[in-house]
Amino acid sequence: MTEPYLRIEKLTKVYERGQVLALDALSLDVEKREFLVVIGLSGSGKSTLLRCINRLIEPTSGRIMLGSVDLTRLSPERMRKMRRRMGMIFQHFNLIRRAPVITNVLTGRLGYMPGWKAMLGMFSKEDQDRALESLERVGLREKAYVRADELSGGQQQRVGIARALMQEPEILLADEPVSALDPATSHSIMQYLEWMNREREVTVLASLHFLSLARRYGTRIVALKDGQRVFDGPPAEIDNAKFKEIYGEDAEEVEVR
Amino acid sequence: MAKPLSSRLAGSGVTLKARALSFFIDWVVWGYIAYGVMFFLNYYWYTVHVDWWGTLTLPTWGWPLVVLGTLEMAGLCRALGRSLGKRALGLNLVGEHGQRLRRGQRIYRFLLWNITLPIQPILYALRRPLLHERRSSTQLVHSPRAPGVKGKSSLLTQWGIMAVFLCVFTVWLGWLITEINVPVLISRAPTAGRIWSQMVSPDFRYFIEPDPVFALRGLSYSILNLMVVTIFMALLATILGAIFALPVSFAGARNIMGHNALGWAVYAVVRGLFNVFRSIETVLWALVFAVWVGWGTPFAGVLALTVHTIAALGKLYSEQVESIDPGPLEAIVAVGGSRWQVIRYAVLPQVVPSFWAFTLYRWDINVRMSTIIALVGGGGIGDMLFYYKNEGLWRMVGAVVIVIVAVVWSMDYISGRLRERIA
Repeated sequence: MTEPYLRIEKLTKVYERGQVLALDALSLDVEKREFLVVIGLSGSGKSTLLRCINRLIEPTSGRIMLGSVDLTRLSPERMRKMRRRMGMIFQHFNLIRRAPVITNVLTGRLGYMPGWKAMLGMFSKEDQDRALESLERVGLREKAYVRADELSGGQQQRVGIARALMQEPEILLADEPVSALDPATSHSIMQYLEWMNREREVTVLASLHFLSLARRYGTRIVALKDGQRVFDGPPAEIDNAKFKEIYGEDAEEVEVR
Repeated sequence: MAKPLSSRLAGSGVTLKARALSFFIDWVVWGYIAYGVMFFLNYYWYTVHVDWWGTLTLPTWGWPLVVLGTLEMAGLCRALGRSLGKRALGLNLVGEHGQRLRRGQRIYRFLLWNITLPIQPILYALRRPLLHERRSSTQLVHSPRAPGVKGKSSLLTQWGIMAVFLCVFTVWLGWLITEINVPVLISRAPTAGRIWSQMVSPDFRYFIEPDPVFALRGLSYSILNLMVVTIFMALLATILGAIFALPVSFAGARNIMGHNALGWAVYAVVRGLFNVFRSIETVLWALVFAVWVGWGTPFAGVLALTVHTIAALGKLYSEQVESIDPGPLEAIVAVGGSRWQVIRYAVLPQVVPSFWAFTLYRWDINVRMSTIIALVGGGGIGDMLFYYKNEGLWRMVGAVVIVIVAVVWSMDYISGRLRERIA
């Protein structure tokens, strides 16, 4: 049996302040080029799981193996190098609102730059061309020099995708990438993720609220409840009974078309 | 988020700290009232019975008695009804199952509270139920106002009456303590009027031409000379202050430093220094530096203004850094950015506009401060102002004051307009 691409072993996260168990000894194997969708109620541990992988949140215990490297044991400096290979897009886009779009995209290269050049904002010609290319890719070439907060929500998320593209990531962590967007825009964003997954061979881990989106785009769905895995399998296997188990008895499925 | 690991012990939902703070508030209120009553007794007894009593003085054992009495009053009020301290922290006294209490229960609780007071912290530390609560079947709980119930908003509630009472009490007490004297205000008006009438017909003789009599360290100055010095004092203090405050302010921001123990230590020290240096007023700093680098030198003034500016701006800057949106920080960390890159790309863009606004605001303050700082040896236009005042040359004083007002007003206007542009 070969090693899985990303192996999560008994990952546990306890938030000390509220004495809350966000992840409860969660184990998960992710294959390369998978489009893994994590679903679950608010507070089920989706965001915590994704943030533990690039250690925006320090896990309390457990291991995260990327190939043969244990991410949880890397020094801050090594982890910083490792994060270059992990793109991340966020629910609220997390752009520098007052900076132009192009600067936001260029920040995707920060991990690759020597410190002093980054401090002076001296991005190489190559990076700048690449940034414009990325923007072209997400259809925002003509907005390159507009301030980021002047864009609509969907456009801002596309900037977020362009920023992730700049990293040339192997893994893309998408934390509720469409929760702040309307249904039509959601599909456009999800299609960019799908494109990255298929054409760029990026392994995607996305958390989503809507099961319909998860079914449509995911190659595999993992459902979390109270920090534990309650479902793991292909999208087609989630039936009504499973759905009630994940979301509670009173839940009603809402479709996003 | 998910499941709590341990539920707190029933009945001790309100922490010791919250109880102590709430009690302290009640005690302060009662202590204040006791002080006021003592003051009134003293004041009016002395006025009426000046011949045979004199000042009412407490014997040495009187003060512990007052302290004890106010403590008991606070405790009694807290047990019997609602109190300001409980209200301030949103606490309420209810029965074991949240029901209303009988008066007997309340008094029983108060008595038991008195007896068990010394062991209460120990019970807390051991996570045991509090004795006086258990035996009187009462408990202190956090009780937010019932969301469906409309609260009374008139002044005729007990809180309204208490607020009005405290205000009247304070004004009465303060009136006596600060020796407010309206008759003097009226009887001396003509004298003040003469000075005023001279000041409003100012004498601008020495506006450009130096005053041959007035001299600082052997040199004569005109109003304009010294005004230029004053303006530059303010400018220099603001710029230097901002330059020093900028890097230090990041060390005083919790969200930047609070990742490890060393960071917390630096944060605490920096914030502490900001607070200490800021609470020492500019005029006190001027005294210090005037002794150090020379009385009446503008240099002393610049140093004083700069030190206070660093502390004040540092605090404002750090608070601004603390209030930024953490999202972009997360994003820069996630792309593999270093600590410095996070500051450069996620923090700075968010804080720079308000940094400018704060700096301009500080410039305002510095211009105003620099005009009077000469009073304590800081140099600048104030030297001239106080010289003329001491000589009784009120027309000259008028001229200086008008120039100061004009400069302060125009600087204020400029910085106001600039801040508007930034915001």
